[in-house]
Amino acid sequence: MDELDLLRDLGRGLEHEPPPSLVRQRNRLLDAGRARRRRGPGRWTLLGVVAMVTAAAILVPAALLHGRDAKPVAAKSTAPAAGKALNVLVIGSDARGSDAARSDTLMLVHVPADRKRPHVVSLPRDLLVRIPACGRAASVDGMINSAFTAGGASCTLATVRQLSGVRVDQTVVIDFGGFRTMVDALGGVEVTLPKSVSDQKSGLDLSAGRHWVDGRQALAYARVRHGLGDGSDLDRIKRQHRLLGSLARQARKQMTNDPVAFARFLAVAAGSVKTVPRLDAGALKTLVRGFEDGDSVAFDTVPVRPAPSDPSRVVLDEPAAKRMFASFRSS
Amino acid sequence: MTVPPTAREYDAALIESSLDDPEAFAALFDRYSGMLYRYVSRRLGPEAAEDVVGETFLAAFSKRHRYDLAQRDARPWLFGIATKLVARHHRTEAARYRALRRSPVDGSVEGPADRVAAGVTASASRPALAEALSGLARGDLDVLLLVAWGDLAYEEVARALGIPVGTVRSRLNRARRKVRAALGDTDPTREEA
Repeated sequence: MDELDLLRDLGRGLEHEPPPSLVRQRNRLLDAGRARRRRGPGRWTLLGVVAMVTAAAILVPAALLHGRDAKPVAAKSTAPAAGKALNVLVIGSDARGSDAARSDTLMLVHVPADRKRPHVVSLPRDLLVRIPACGRAASVDGMINSAFTAGGASCTLATVRQLSGVRVDQTVVIDFGGFRTMVDALGGVEVTLPKSVSDQKSGLDLSAGRHWVDGRQALAYARVRHGLGDGSDLDRIKRQHRLLGSLARQARKQMTNDPVAFARFLAVAAGSVKTVPRLDAGALKTLVRGFEDGDSVAFDTVPVRPAPSDPSRVVLDEPAAKRMFASFRSS
Repeated sequence: MTVPPTAREYDAALIESSLDDPEAFAALFDRYSGMLYRYVSRRLGPEAAEDVVGETFLAAFSKRHRYDLAQRDARPWLFGIATKLVARHHRTEAARYRALRRSPVDGSVEGPADRVAAGVTASASRPALAEALSGLARGDLDVLLLVAWGDLAYEEVARALGIPVGTVRSRLNRARRKVRAALGDTDPTREEA
């Protein structure tokens, strides 16, 4: 053993493993890259989509919260600790041309501390709620999706918080165009139709049975209200959940079979959603890794009943909703 | 400590593609941030290491246009940038070695007689090593640690620091001589001084 060997031995004793918080430095780098690129202000709409994207919105803050406090140990520690439970609000909106944006899709996602079984709860867009002031003089009663029109994501967030009593750690806004690009980056996704559909409004034109569809058709499938099911928003939500499941499966498959294509998908996904706090492709990847265990996402719709004032609208079934959100409020 | 990447020949290609697509540069971060973090954490400890790694990649990103694309492996380039940034923290580094000099080591080692005995751990030499490191000139220290802790070859060290290979050799020889002298007769693995 010469002095270099002794020195190497000393070095090994002094070494620390990279902490999860190193992702912050990566974000700095990406910010520097983006600053140079100068994109125009995008139009952001929401489609409550990719469970993985949503999920991604989650692990990262957890990793960040952990990095500073938990002292890295010299030993080869691997995965970041599970961290705490996180709630994410996913908003998809409906902006077309110069029309005012509405939140077309709303989902609350709960990711437990052990990251085992995320729970997705959709909120129907025609749910009648009390919308808080949001910069206006007074709060008003209205459909939940009008909060987005009135005051953007922050107003939607305030409304959902008031309605559910759930603390939200992360807001994710998804653009329809972004959704289409994401599906295309995955090489398409599988959908199953109970009967043939030809709907001019959404542009969906498919026969009954299984189809491998591209981003444009997947989007139409997610949005169509006529020709499939009973035409209700609740039915549309179910379809979106199936699509999400299919999308997540496809993404997971790609992650295993074609890592290069998957990396591209993550980059697209990170660029297609607007997150507060911000997430990037690396953060998404970290998150996706946390969800490798098969189809473990649970999908629900918040319990509702017809509104007394307007049978075509719904109101929250308070006791049942309270039970459903209980897990969101626990640590 | 550094694991050579399996696709090292792609570093230059990656940097080249980042000229048009800045975000491609993040792949370089994914490839080498862990390696650099480990290296810098040895010299500066975990807190400063995180900043230095971030600064290293930011600096590398801003001068990627000047990267010599004939150099497929970007590690020497990154180590060179990191080394300059580590120098800004020389007080932190010095304090780290000083602390090590004082820190108690393996209690089973009592005196010189025991140290030459078989089974003595290398940790017995740590205070002396730390003492030696804190006494080295910066240029010598950089070369020594890039070789011993960064696992760089002489040519790579030369590239990292922008000095001739001959200078790398002479600095390394001088540094090793001083470390040997500091270990002196307390070197547990040497019978003779």
